[in-house]
This record gives sequence, structure tokens and C-alpha cells, in this order.
Amino acid sequence: MDPILILALLIVVLIVVIFLFVFWGIYNRIIRYENRIDNAWAQIDVQLKRRADLIPNLMETVRGYMKHERGTMESVTNARAAMMSAKTPQESMEANNMLTGALKTLFAVAENYPDLKASQNFLSLQDELTHTEEKIAYSRQHFNDSVLAYNNAIETFPGNFFAHRMGRKTREMLQIPEESKAVPKVSF
Amino acid sequence: MLLEDHIRKNKIDTVLICMFMVALLFSVIFAIGFAFGLPPIFAMAIGLPIALAYLAITYSFSVSSVIAAAGARPANPQNREEKLLIYKVEEMSLAAGLPTPKVYVQDSKDINAFATGRKPDEAIICATTGAIQQLNNEELEGVIGHEMSHIKNRDILVATVTVAVVGTIALLAEIALRSLFWSGGSRGDKKGGGGIIIIVAIIFIVLAPIFSRLTYLAISRRREYLADADGAYLTRNPEGLAAALEKIKNDLPDDPKGSKTVAPLYIANPYKRALRNSIWSTHPPLDERIRRLRSM
Repeated sequence: MDPILILALLIVVLIVVIFLFVFWGIYNRIIRYENRIDNAWAQIDVQLKRRADLIPNLMETVRGYMKHERGTMESVTNARAAMMSAKTPQESMEANNMLTGALKTLFAVAENYPDLKASQNFLSLQDELTHTEEKIAYSRQHFNDSVLAYNNAIETFPGNFFAHRMGRKTREMLQIPEESKAVPKVSF
Repeated sequence: MLLEDHIRKNKIDTVLICMFMVALLFSVIFAIGFAFGLPPIFAMAIGLPIALAYLAITYSFSVSSVIAAAGARPANPQNREEKLLIYKVEEMSLAAGLPTPKVYVQDSKDINAFATGRKPDEAIICATTGAIQQLNNEELEGVIGHEMSHIKNRDILVATVTVAVVGTIALLAEIALRSLFWSGGSRGDKKGGGGIIIIVAIIFIVLAPIFSRLTYLAISRRREYLADADGAYLTRNPEGLAAALEKIKNDLPDDPKGSKTVAPLYIANPYKRALRNSIWSTHPPLDERIRRLRSM
């Protein structure tokens, strides 16, 4: 056979092989990033459930002391109910932010009840609820970091070429609603 | 660059560093072979098993020896300060996307912390009682973030392998030089030109331990800067770690209790004051670390 033809054939084969290797690398990277996102979301979910589980205990502890703070206690239990019935991630996040606000108020009001503040049970629940709040915040941060990495991978070249054929779309990050950043006012 | 991309780059760098150290080790073995007039294969047959044995022993004892050397105990959740430390470690591991390490405490007035463990899922973070008492929430978070980054970057593995190679090079060099000293005439059958190569080989053998140690220290310092940066990214708050380092700076012990072998894993150099900021230090100067953090 004509040597030039052989050479041309070899070059074509080489290009195809390189293309396949590149595809292999990019495909795996996209899958890995995608799994990281799903794992990160599952983590947030675990923390949200843990938080919801702590609330009944907290309510039992404060009920005896804060008999006249029904409004405050109700907003906590309502927020918890909203969290348990949320259907989308965004809804869960909003309900969680509502709960954070309600708890901030509750703990601020608890400052007026020295007996309650002295209760070991209350202190340890307060510590733990603060802890779950931090965990949710960091889980959310990790989720957003994972989404960023994924979006970068599928939007930059050459990833975008393959991602389109794989049917991958950019994902949304979790937003923090403005209201939850405000410090609640407590009036007596 | 994202943290995750940092990590992947680090893993590649880690492989390259390990390959470099292995190449260094092989060069020393070959040099020893030359000096003795042995064929390289012979030298390898002796040198390589020694190196692998050293590495295997260091690797399997790395965790328990570190904990024992530090006199550390598991953190006590009944103690509020230690409970809050455990909480911090959990929070940071969620931010990093890693399994939660076990938490240990070292009873000491110094402010310090270290991380150890062969793999991220067998990791341990230890802080001194001085640290948890004297650092506020933000500062402790910065320190734990730094330690978590060491785990994520597999710095413990890098340090273990590098130290093992440095140790092997030193050991082989010592054996070779002593044997050469005692059996001065064993090279009598070499051709004339071979003499220079042998002298070069001997000089290389003498210098290799020093050279490998300096390389290891330079690597260690670079990993510290990286852990600072990655830790700051985890907390999104470089000032926390910067403030913690300031407190450490003003509180440097003259009689440190840290274990020397695991010095690079501590957040602050547990060595004596004099060695602290030289090329012989495992840690970069605190002032420079603080400056970099505050410029992020």
C-alpha cells in the first residue's frame, strides 16, 4: 500500500485515540463533580433533620419557664413544621432560615429567665442547636463550592462540548434570603 | 483556583515530590555502589529492601507513635470547652467534604494543634488545652481549618514518605561511609579513571543526607503556606487564622513540648526559638504567614 496512505491512516487513528482519552478524562471529571454535589446535598439534608429533631426537646425544656412567651414559642414550632413539609431544596432552605430567625428570638427572650439559663439541659441544647446551624451553613457552603466546580467543568472548553452531548445542565446554588440576615428585634 | 482544584493539583504535586525523593534515594544507592566498586544491581538489592522496610515501619506506626509522643488523650464531650472543639472539627469536616476525624486533646499551656492519620478516613486532629482556652471561636476555627486542610491535602502521607526517604538516605550514607573508612583498600582494583568517579560518589554520599533534609524542609514550608490558604478558604475568614497566629507569636514557648518527629504537622513550630525562622525550620516565619493571610 502507498506509505503516505498508511501514514495518514495512522495519524487519524492517533487523533481518535487522543480524543477518546480526553473524553474519558472529562467524562469522569463531570461525573465525579456531579456526585460530589449530590453527596453535599444529602449532607445538608442530614443536618436539617437533626435540627428538626432537637426542637421538640427544646420546647419541652422551655415550656415550664416561658409560659407567657407563647408567640415566640409558636413561631419556632411553625418554622419546624414548615421545614418538615418542604418539598424542594429551596423550600427547605427558606424554612430553615425562618427557624434560625425564630430561634434567635427565642434565645434572646430566654435572657430574661435566669432559672432557664441556669438549666444544664437548656445550655446544652442551645450549644447543640448553634452547632447544627453552623453545620448547615458549612454544608451549604460545600454544596455551593461543589456546584461551582461542576458548572465550571461543564461551561468551560472543552468540557462544554462533551457536557452538551451528555445532557448535563448547569446547576443552581443555594441562595440566602435577605430577611434571615437581619437581627430580630426583641421588645418587652 | 478552587479548593477542589487545589487539591487535585496537590495530589499530582505529591506524586511528583515522592518520585523526586525516590530518584534521590536511588542516586544515593548507585553512588554507594560506585564507591564500593559494586555493580548497581547489587547495591539496589541491598539498598531497596532497607528503604522499603524503613518506609513500612514508619507508615504502620505513624499514628500511634504520634499520639503517644504527644501524650494526647481523646477529647471529653462532658467538658464544655472540649465539646466545643469536637463541634468545630465536625463543622470543618463538613465544609471540607471529609469524614469527621477523631478529636484528641494535649494537656499543655502552649497554643498548638496537629493533625495525623494515614488516610482521610482514619484521621485525628489534636489541639492543646492552651489552644482551646486562649483562642476565641473564630481563631480556633481558623486553626482547625488549617489542620483539616493538611488532612485533605494528604500532607501527613507526604511528610511520612519524605521523612522515611530522608532517614533511609542518612542511614545508607552512614553505613557506606563507615564501611569505606574501615576498608580503605577495597577499591584497589579500580582502573585509574574510576578514582575520580569514586571521589565524586563519596562527596555525593556525604552531602546527600544534608541535601535531602533541606529539600524536605523546603517542601514542608510550602505545604504550610498551602494549608494556611486552604484553611482560610474553608472558613472564608483568613483573619481568624491570622489572629490565632498572632496569639501564638506572642506566646512562643522557650521550652516546647512538641514531638520533634511530627513537627511539620503542628500549626506552630514546636522547636526552640533559635531554629525557628531559618532554612532548617519546618514552618515558614509566623510574620510572613500572617502577612499573607491578611492580604487575601
